[in-house]
Amino acid sequence: MRATLPDNLLLRRLGARDRRALLLENEPIQLKAGARVMTAGQRLAHVHFPIDCAISLLVEAADRPLLEIGLIGREGMLGVPLILGVSQSSVSAFVQTPGLAWRIEAARFGRCIDASERLRRRMQSYVHVHLSQLVEAAACKHFHKLAERLARWLLMSADRLQSNELALTHEYLSCVLGVRRAGTTLAARGLQERGLIAYSRGHIALVDRTGLEAAACPCYARERTLYEHVMR
Amino acid sequence: MDLPPAERERLFPHMKLVEMPFGMVLYESGVVLRHIYFPVDSIVSLLYVLNNGASAEIAVVGNEGAVGVSLFMGGETTPSRAVVQSAGSAYRLSRARLKEEFNRHGQLLHVLLRYTQSLITQMAQTAVCNRHHALDQQLCRWLLLSLDRLETNELRVTQELIASMIGVRREGVTEAAGRLQKLGVIRYSRGKITVLDRPRLEELSCECYAVVKAETDRLLGPR
Repeated sequence: MRATLPDNLLLRRLGARDRRALLLENEPIQLKAGARVMTAGQRLAHVHFPIDCAISLLVEAADRPLLEIGLIGREGMLGVPLILGVSQSSVSAFVQTPGLAWRIEAARFGRCIDASERLRRRMQSYVHVHLSQLVEAAACKHFHKLAERLARWLLMSADRLQSNELALTHEYLSCVLGVRRAGTTLAARGLQERGLIAYSRGHIALVDRTGLEAAACPCYARERTLYEHVMR
Repeated sequence: MDLPPAERERLFPHMKLVEMPFGMVLYESGVVLRHIYFPVDSIVSLLYVLNNGASAEIAVVGNEGAVGVSLFMGGETTPSRAVVQSAGSAYRLSRARLKEEFNRHGQLLHVLLRYTQSLITQMAQTAVCNRHHALDQQLCRWLLLSLDRLETNELRVTQELIASMIGVRREGVTEAAGRLQKLGVIRYSRGKITVLDRPRLEELSCECYAVVKAETDRLLGPR
């Protein structure tokens, strides 16, 4: 029964002792849509391990979201700088899809990492995944067509949330794709016309997953393979 | 990268000073890494490469950093290609030695981890820059990041190289460089760019340069 409960995949793969050290007396918190969980240049008070929420990593300019550079769900964690011994982040983070996450105080997380070589290694492996995702994301944004990128991103989101229904605003999608709203609308309409998604105001449903995978750029498959390889 | 004295003494006998000729590929993406490199007076570009061969730069590494951070992250391979962009030399340390050093939990571990955070910042900012900023601004950023890693105000680069780094066509770089030359900011001749007015170059760059510089200085100490 326990194994079927939703949980963060990084935490699930930890040994019992590390898990206990991190989570004992702790309980998952509910993160609200749009909530800011990290601010560039400010001290990180916590790390977050999403359970069924998704957190978006963003670069801001003049306090407005400019570009999404990463999406973190149950496969990952928010707080990479703390693994690297750095107390503040250089990017910001917002809750993209509300849900539960484990939240652990930065000081406790640091103590756990210092005390367990195994945990440190696991977390550093995740840094490697995170770096690779950044590289992939940059390459993708640079070279791939809008429709391919949208398809990839929808698949990534669905995987992280384990749901084919996504609640999204246009503004946010524009920030993900790094284009104006008009471009976003056009790309979404294109995927809808091919019968891959159903799209209405603030809401996108993945209708044909296989078709969407075929429509996505190769980055989607590459990233999945990498994660499985590094974190196995 | 500035190593603490104890580490320097312990590691120097195992480090090899190697030549880094222009264009040398230190590693391809997906290949198993065998060494970590600490550039002395060379610059290495980290490039993302697509299946179809197209590539663009995502970060530059000079004497402030190290090439091959994946080695101590538990990833034996890297997602990027590393190519020498400006010739010079580097210290090279084997994977086995690096891991041994890491298991000591000494200062090197901390320095390299902090450096990794500055690399993450640079990568994120490059993604933003590629997506949102004008080519002229990107060119200024690229020149500044390279200049900071050299002792001179002269870069030996072709416009083809810059174009492939920024991920645009050469004609675009030629036009952008022409505009900078007209403003008296740089002078370029075949295979060489001289920066004449650095403050102006910083003004003309997008904020990406300042963001990356500030974060690198914060994490590794000003240079």
